[in-house]
Amino acid sequence: MSKDLERALSKLRFDDQVLGYSLMTKVGRPFVSFAFPDELFPRVQNSIQLYKKDLRLMTIDTDKGLVVLSPVDDNWILTVLYVPELQLGLAIAKTKNVLRLLEGIELPPPPEEFDESSDSNLQVLESIAVNASSVEDTPDAPSPVSESSSATTEELSPDDFSVSPSTTPIRGPDYSKALSLNSELYSEMKKIYRNFGFDVLMLVDGTNNIESIADSMFQPTDRVIDLLKWGATKSIITVPRFQEGTEDTKSGDGGSIGRYVKCPKFEGNLSKVSGDDINIIRLCDGKQTQEQIAKATGLPIPRVVQTLAKYRKLGLKMIGRTIK
Amino acid sequence: MPKIENPLLLSFYAYYVDKILSETSNIDEANQKLRDLGREIGQQIYLNTEIVEKTKDNVTTREDVSKLIEVVYKVLYNKKPTDVDMKTARGSVRISDNDCVWCQEVNLEGMRGFGYCEIFSGILESILEFKSVDAKVFQEMCRATGADICVWNVRLG
Repeated sequence: MSKDLERALSKLRFDDQVLGYSLMTKVGRPFVSFAFPDELFPRVQNSIQLYKKDLRLMTIDTDKGLVVLSPVDDNWILTVLYVPELQLGLAIAKTKNVLRLLEGIELPPPPEEFDESSDSNLQVLESIAVNASSVEDTPDAPSPVSESSSATTEELSPDDFSVSPSTTPIRGPDYSKALSLNSELYSEMKKIYRNFGFDVLMLVDGTNNIESIADSMFQPTDRVIDLLKWGATKSIITVPRFQEGTEDTKSGDGGSIGRYVKCPKFEGNLSKVSGDDINIIRLCDGKQTQEQIAKATGLPIPRVVQTLAKYRKLGLKMIGRTIK
Repeated sequence: MPKIENPLLLSFYAYYVDKILSETSNIDEANQKLRDLGREIGQQIYLNTEIVEKTKDNVTTREDVSKLIEVVYKVLYNKKPTDVDMKTARGSVRISDNDCVWCQEVNLEGMRGFGYCEIFSGILESILEFKSVDAKVFQEMCRATGADICVWNVRLG
């Protein structure tokens, strides 16, 4: 990431018509600068303030030269100072070229505290990006953990635990340690998962299963599972260990997401359901499949389907879910 | 009672989704399989529709990509996407649709992270590929799993 960024910025550095540049935060604090005159910063900041959210490409004519401001993304603004005699169109084109180079790079948001215009900031950005990407790529997320656990052989790896959406995690011996803000465990978790870890752990109370945790957080179930497996290796939470010889559950039930079924759910007014149908409709709670309802009522499946179809206009829905 | 558009298409698609979910062991894999399915039919779509005639030969800028997306929408669904956002994120284009064709009347519980409409990611990815645009498309939000709107991210390579 920072290699690409450096490459894009070095394009500016070696351009004869560029007097200086600065990568700024959205409030106009210089993060990485090169030969950008300090006395211009207040002016640039004022202009950024003026436009705030609506900032697109902007040019400012100063006695030092031509300044072109352009937002890179929600967090960053690239500011370039060109020689005064450069044509406006050329300056804009040059800026756009650099922006194009930046396009493929996902810049992390700036850290809350930093030294303005320090050269080492590029490395700071890089380290944030590394952390951020380890969170964003969920499948890769546990990899730093498994590496460390393979180094110290007695530690457990996340794969030792069998966790499915219907698993209910319970608090482990180190649960409170992980939640106390000054503990090492907390900072380790924060490094890998940022605040996501904390939020999930708050919902672990021995009654919520993973499915409902993920649902209430609007997060992918897999991501929650990844975190909890990691938490299990650190004794923060307790989930079942993966037992040797239970492999058959994997092939039989379709593995960790369980079996996909559709369950009818009636949300309409039961008083509108006529005589015989009530036996079927009453069982439509979104938790039982058509087959189960047929079995419970002793009716053939086609009969159940017939009835369900009749009540679609009165508030019967099919809910898809995975069951274990 | 909501009227379902194109029930034949939806029934076919629901059948494929069921099948894929019964054969895969995790959500990511299921998403990928749906994208693969989309990629395969993307070729048919490219051959059988007027997408070629209606788009520029050289799709280079994000504006071109967004135009292409609108053409694909017009051809496939005879409508416009709710929004095509080119500005918020550099290097990617976000498509949102608050009335997506694929997941009409589909309600999924406890399957967050599953992209019911990932097939469209595959379709678009393959069409972009035929237009020589290197891109990764994936679904970010899906109404079937409880979001208000379906959103796809087209990450340009």
